Amino acid sequence: MKHMIKITNLEKIYRTEEVETVALNKLNMDVKEGEFVAVMGPSGCGKSTLLNILGLLDEPDTGSFEFNGQEIAHYNERKRADIRKHNIGFVFQSFNLIDELTVFENVELPLIYTGVSTVERKKRVEEVLDKMQIMHRRNHYPQQLSGGQQQRVAVARAVVNKPKLILADEPTGNLDSSNGNEVMELLTDLNEHGTTIIMVTHSEHDARYSHRIIRMLDGQTVTENILV
Amino acid sequence: MLKNYFRIAWRNVIRHKAYTAINIIGLAIGIAACLLLFTVVKYELSYDKFQPNYDHIYHVASTRVNEEGTYYGEGVPFPAYDALRAQCPQAKTGAMFSNYNCQVTVLDPKDANAFSNKKFIEETGIFFSDPQIFSVFQYKWLIGSPDVLKAPNVAVLTKKMAEKYYGKWQSAIGGLIKLDNTATVKIAGVLEDIAVNTDFPLGVIASYETMKSYPNVYGYTTDFGNVTSSFQAFMLLPPNVSAEGINKLLVRFSNEHYNKGSKKNDKVYNFLQPLKEVHFDNRIGTFGNHITSKTTLWTLSLIGLFIIIMACINFINLATAQAVGRSKEVGIRKVLGSNRRQLFWQVIGETWIIVLTAIILASVIATICLPYIKNVASIEEKLSLLNLSTIGFMAALAVVVTLLAGTYPSLILSGFKPALALKNKITSATVGGISLRRGLVVTQFAISQVLIIGTIVAVSQMNFIRKADLGFNKEAVLVLNSNVDSSVNLRQPAFKQKLLSINGVKSVSFSSDVPSSESNNSGNFAFDHKPDEKFDIFRKFGDEDYFKTYGLQLVAGRIFTKSDTINEIVVNETLVKKLGIKTPADILGHVLRVNRNSWRTIVGVVKDFKTNSLRESVKPLMLAQRAKRYYFTGVKLTTSNLKQTQAEIEKVWNQFFPEYVYAPTFMDERINKFYEQENQLSLLYKIFAGIAILISCLGLYGLVSFMAAQRTKEVGIRKVLGASVANIIFLFSKEFTILILVAFAVAVPVAYYMMSNWLNNFAYKVSLSIWVFALAILSSVIIAWLTVGYKSIKAALSNPVKSLRSE
Repeated sequence: MKHMIKITNLEKIYRTEEVETVALNKLNMDVKEGEFVAVMGPSGCGKSTLLNILGLLDEPDTGSFEFNGQEIAHYNERKRADIRKHNIGFVFQSFNLIDELTVFENVELPLIYTGVSTVERKKRVEEVLDKMQIMHRRNHYPQQLSGGQQQRVAVARAVVNKPKLILADEPTGNLDSSNGNEVMELLTDLNEHGTTIIMVTHSEHDARYSHRIIRMLDGQTVTENILV
Repeated sequence: MLKNYFRIAWRNVIRHKAYTAINIIGLAIGIAACLLLFTVVKYELSYDKFQPNYDHIYHVASTRVNEEGTYYGEGVPFPAYDALRAQCPQAKTGAMFSNYNCQVTVLDPKDANAFSNKKFIEETGIFFSDPQIFSVFQYKWLIGSPDVLKAPNVAVLTKKMAEKYYGKWQSAIGGLIKLDNTATVKIAGVLEDIAVNTDFPLGVIASYETMKSYPNVYGYTTDFGNVTSSFQAFMLLPPNVSAEGINKLLVRFSNEHYNKGSKKNDKVYNFLQPLKEVHFDNRIGTFGNHITSKTTLWTLSLIGLFIIIMACINFINLATAQAVGRSKEVGIRKVLGSNRRQLFWQVIGETWIIVLTAIILASVIATICLPYIKNVASIEEKLSLLNLSTIGFMAALAVVVTLLAGTYPSLILSGFKPALALKNKITSATVGGISLRRGLVVTQFAISQVLIIGTIVAVSQMNFIRKADLGFNKEAVLVLNSNVDSSVNLRQPAFKQKLLSINGVKSVSFSSDVPSSESNNSGNFAFDHKPDEKFDIFRKFGDEDYFKTYGLQLVAGRIFTKSDTINEIVVNETLVKKLGIKTPADILGHVLRVNRNSWRTIVGVVKDFKTNSLRESVKPLMLAQRAKRYYFTGVKLTTSNLKQTQAEIEKVWNQFFPEYVYAPTFMDERINKFYEQENQLSLLYKIFAGIAILISCLGLYGLVSFMAAQRTKEVGIRKVLGASVANIIFLFSKEFTILILVAFAVAVPVAYYMMSNWLNNFAYKVSLSIWVFALAILSSVIIAWLTVGYKSIKAALSNPVKSLRSE
């Protein structure tokens, strides 16, 4: 399988007036197309920073980041936004739905930014809502849904654009175990249909859904467990 | 995408109702104020622009330069008109004489001698002129042509006046009217109505030849030394003739006609004043009802600008404060692929919706307020917002306000880093701009305080004027006005006796003028057989009861003995001082003469009273008797049964002078009229200062609400650690009080400069004492505290357990 992500000697340092925090310390990592990777490690080990850089929400200080064979470490914001909207879907621990928009409108948003026509948008949003079994809530606002339902909407939004990569940041962190399992099943199903998934998690249980677990400490990968 | 933006903008509006309301109301009030000011300024700037030759018409004004200073005048001597036409053939010259307070009697065309009760007092609008004036100014003739004015005893009317006198304007032709019970003229033409935004409010134009036939009534003379502001000349220059060229010619003209034999340091010159400056130069009078200086127009425009800036500041303050709460949305949008530019335009779009709503609301407010402002600004025309320039102005305002108010918040919001935004790590500290927001609040309060100080000064000056000691008693004096001829003079003594017999009439006096007036009658004079003095003497004529009726006090000597012509004279203290005489008593027995008339003995000195409005200082004055000039009847009343007394006076008037309109005014009303413009201006200041204060309070309220919401946790912790309610209130008020004090430091010099300039218009004025400024700061602080108070008390009383848990 071909590499989707290849990271070499990646460094990210946060500086304030008095303190310098090394978040990523010459980190190396590869992810192949169609893989399901779990990233684990204690708080402050750099998981979230890694995910932000992988999601092109943040840029590294030094090092190389190849995405689909393209070096993108120092792309400007516009180019990063462009790659992001066509290739990457996000699922967050706190769902991050826009409170002012309905379920339908939240899911529709990525399609608007990629310029999909209204008719096509309606079709695709309804398809994905149906798949996530949340169609009956399409006109509700996020506050009117349970945590599990909100996360299903978030997953629907992440996949509606058919991204090649889904980045999930503790997707079950705010859910009870039954809702959590449901979300993990959804992710597994997506992965089985070809989507690459990188998931940051504290839960060994969730990590077991993945193919490979990367463990981090102090901004570096320390071990890798291959599960499949 | 646009639909999505509008949707989210609309839902944001609904969700944050209170802040949106503050934003929209603040902006709407600001925009409405701006619209109203625009309408007023536009109206003033439009004066006489409808004249096709607007850029080439000039007023022949004059300036007198002597040791005492430079004075400007609007009139020319009667013979100068013919001389100008002869000596400046390259220009078209016309002139008109304004016959103020003219009585027009509409006569029966079949019997001109029959008594007519159709009589009107026309304060302005009655002119004497010849056909030449119509080659300078263009008016549309409905019937007739300028040539009809070549003959004596003819007149033309405007359509409005023709309809007033005859019902239908077509019926006016051939009709007879009598001016001032003196000149009977035949109507020979009708003009289309003239726009109200003109300084030439023509109503009746009688021929110049008519005026020349009544020199005793209208003062026509061929003497170059006699000037009245009522007679003014105008020139139309052809495109190839420059005003500078004519001005050079006018210097030679003036030297030839005015300055021959005059003293070295006392010269009079004519010069051209462009028509486009006539309405705005308050040194030189016009035939119109008011002059609006460019300074006033600038002040009003500046106030408008200030108010709109303040409204924008509110918006910026609230929007940036709100930005923190919207960081998550921005983060999500960025994650889903939005770039900075798209987000920037989204926020601008939201601003646009609010501005648009505000503009719609502002148009409603402005439409409601328009008639009121129209009165305040003494605009006679029917004003409407529905015209191209106002709509264009609104559109421009919408764009400018959107950009002004929206750009900064848009930059802030669209610049959030998504990684931080999603983790709720955006706080007001990371948004930055706290110092900017403080700066904006200071700007707002500085503007408000300048306006507050301006208002306090203007109001106290107007109060000072109202209560000022004028040196005479203006209360309960009824003033009646008629023309004077021998028949009137003949009836006056019996009329006086009859009035005195009315219960409630204390005394009656005939005079050429009331003690304080805006008209001046002055001339050269000599004292004690010496050559002419360097300054002019002002004259008022009144009978022996003038002193008693108006409560004038003598400081030396006695009043003159009863006579119908000048026998003895009384002078005022200012004249005594100006002549360098130490005590009033020393001048008694000396003689003076005016304009080479006979020498008269000074028998008394009257205590100074205000001869003009308080804008001017007291003039050197002489009082004497001269029945031929007794246009006014002053009736001093007791204050009981005023209505009954007035009814009886009217009856007596109609019995003695049936041909004259009974149009009484009270002396104090006449004096109040002097200050109409100042009163209006101070009212405008009051209104707009009020608006400015309201807008800044709205902004402050919004800001404090946000501060309270943001500092919930801090307040909770402080309370847990033992802070009292008072401590918390102090915490909130402290910052704003400091900001207001900083604003005060900025406002004081600006306001001081502006208001001392304004006060310089008055010879008698209040001083800019420290109390004015103290009152301004005190009122600002109190207003701010009241605004901040509610929210800070609410924050202080909140339960710390709740506020800490919610974090």
